[in-house]
Amino acid sequence: MAAEPVDVLIVGAGASGGVVALRLAEAGFKVTCLEQGDWHDRAEYRGPELDWELTMRKQWSTSPNVRGLPQDYPLDETDAEISPLMYSAVGGSMLIFAGAWPRMLPSDFRVRSLDGIADDWPLTFEELRPYYERTDRQFGVSGMGGDPAYPPGGEDPPLPPLPLGKGGLKVARAHTKLGWHWWPEFNSILSAPYDGRRACVQRGTCQQGCNEGAKASTDLTHWPKAIGLGAKLITGARVRKIETNDSGLATGATWIDREGNEQFTQAKVVVLAANAIGSTRLLLLSADDRHPDGLANSSGLVGKRLMMHPFANVGGLFDEDLESWQGQFGCSIESFEFYETDESRGFVRGAKWGLAPTFGPINAALPSRAGTQIWGPDHHLHVKAHLGRGANWGLFGEDLPDEANQVTLSKTLTDSDGIPAPEVHYKVSDNSRRLLDFHIEKASQSLLEAGAYTVEVDRLMRYSGWHLLGTARMGDDPATSVLDRWNRTHDVPNLYVVDGSCFVTSAGVNPTSSIVALALRAADHMVETRFEQQVPV
Amino acid sequence: MTADPIALGDDPLAALDPDARATFSALAGHLIPEAHGMPSAADVIGDARLRFVLTTRRDLLEPLLAALRPGLGEDAASRLATLERDDPEAHAALISTIVFAYYTDREVRERLGYPGQEAKQLYSWKVPDFIEEGLTDQVIARGPIWRDPATGRRAEPR
Repeated sequence: MAAEPVDVLIVGAGASGGVVALRLAEAGFKVTCLEQGDWHDRAEYRGPELDWELTMRKQWSTSPNVRGLPQDYPLDETDAEISPLMYSAVGGSMLIFAGAWPRMLPSDFRVRSLDGIADDWPLTFEELRPYYERTDRQFGVSGMGGDPAYPPGGEDPPLPPLPLGKGGLKVARAHTKLGWHWWPEFNSILSAPYDGRRACVQRGTCQQGCNEGAKASTDLTHWPKAIGLGAKLITGARVRKIETNDSGLATGATWIDREGNEQFTQAKVVVLAANAIGSTRLLLLSADDRHPDGLANSSGLVGKRLMMHPFANVGGLFDEDLESWQGQFGCSIESFEFYETDESRGFVRGAKWGLAPTFGPINAALPSRAGTQIWGPDHHLHVKAHLGRGANWGLFGEDLPDEANQVTLSKTLTDSDGIPAPEVHYKVSDNSRRLLDFHIEKASQSLLEAGAYTVEVDRLMRYSGWHLLGTARMGDDPATSVLDRWNRTHDVPNLYVVDGSCFVTSAGVNPTSSIVALALRAADHMVETRFEQQVPV
Repeated sequence: MTADPIALGDDPLAALDPDARATFSALAGHLIPEAHGMPSAADVIGDARLRFVLTTRRDLLEPLLAALRPGLGEDAASRLATLERDDPEAHAALISTIVFAYYTDREVRERLGYPGQEAKQLYSWKVPDFIEEGLTDQVIARGPIWRDPATGRRAEPR
């Protein structure tokens, strides 16, 4: 006898998958999730250990191509100027993200109307704000309300801000002199114990897993609760195809278990939450006679408009010891001074700046990302100048959508189960280059005003594709969008994509808080419309 | 001749014969010599440090052996230049191995004043310095900076 179909099958147990699973489980849905990675024990993270800076460059690299783990899928990035970064596990890429948690701004939802380029979103900042507030509470966000970069009103984050650190305070004072915006950064990192989790200890190793569990990830914040409510999470499960029936509805997913056996899970509704490359890959892998160009792709836009936020790092060096290897990573402070469009600058849109720590002695000693290497007697002076004496502005520039930037399927490269790997095609636009040039100059001015005696610039970092966005954009018109305003595919009424694929434009901020707010909004809608939901018979 | 890495067992140092080991030390001392109150990498990197690195990062062993292979001459600077030009993977593995081994040495870290990534308690109930100094008050006093989609202009204070 065939197994009873689950109400909702989720693919991917990361940020958005965890949020949707918990919301649906709370509403009484029978939820199953397939995750190709596994659970991690916090004791596995290397932050307090001597090998931290060794393993961050291999076993705990943010690039699946560098890690080369069997649960990763490789990426053909030969034609990409930025390398996509991700992690396969329960909690997903949140295990290795920094934890910075800014929201998008009102103008980000109206880029076409305001700047005459790209597209508007089918929703507004005000519509999303209540979901930001709910997810802030779920994840445990530290920060401070009242930031004049955002509209007033609404709830403050549940926890007070994390420390600025010596470098952050210097730069905040400098911005006061310059009359420039700065504000304590929102981080999904606990400044105090919260919801059974411990507070941050400022170790500065957030991107290689948080040993304290202070940095939010859904393996801590959502999955235990969802499982407690009856959700089923299957790890080591690699989905290779979303199946459909003659009525054009999704019927479930075919997947491969740890032993290499093919399995099928039948479902009434399928939710993809595998990031903007993984979900796109699955839609393309699900091509068949009825959907020769891939599932949900009547618009031809599946995989297209990939946005990854071109990133530059501007580091100031100071005479005094700032102990800048410590602190949340995450950011201490942010600046939106030059975020909004000013066409006199020669480009549109802008960038958020986030001030971050600077790693330990091995990072100071190895050739810099800009290629600088000092050997011989002066090597020691170089290391002493860099270790603990830096303040780094990370600049995330808004990446405008371009259909040529896209994910396709490789004809030659496969994962460890023989499934075609994604091929990433991505070029940095002229607008992005001009934008970064401007912001680098301004960020340098900021650090020099703060007392830096010199500034070092990494103009366009290759390994900076943390933010994977836009490959199945939402919109009201099925001819020009893949998803509707509720993250449901226009073509397949019981198929949703709830990760960063849905982004219409990228904004210029770290996107995870927006991804999970949108995912919660989609899940709420699934609950509210459960009796109208079309499902396979 | 170096040992076959496949037959190493658990000790990666078994792959380095005395010639390779001597070449490694010469290169380490060339790149990081004794100076400015810091010891030479040739003196710091003994078997324990090298074993630690190559056990943690097995992936470095093969390209490291390539960097230490005979036939590239005795001169350290010349070997490094050749490797950087002709075999960047081996060059990178050599540099990484030396840096990893040197900067995980306790005495080196002590001389740098680097205690490792320490756990520090937060006192989030304390009023932060930036509040005491009125820094955020000044940001607020300058007014809103977000762009209002309704007008296309910077928002007016409410």
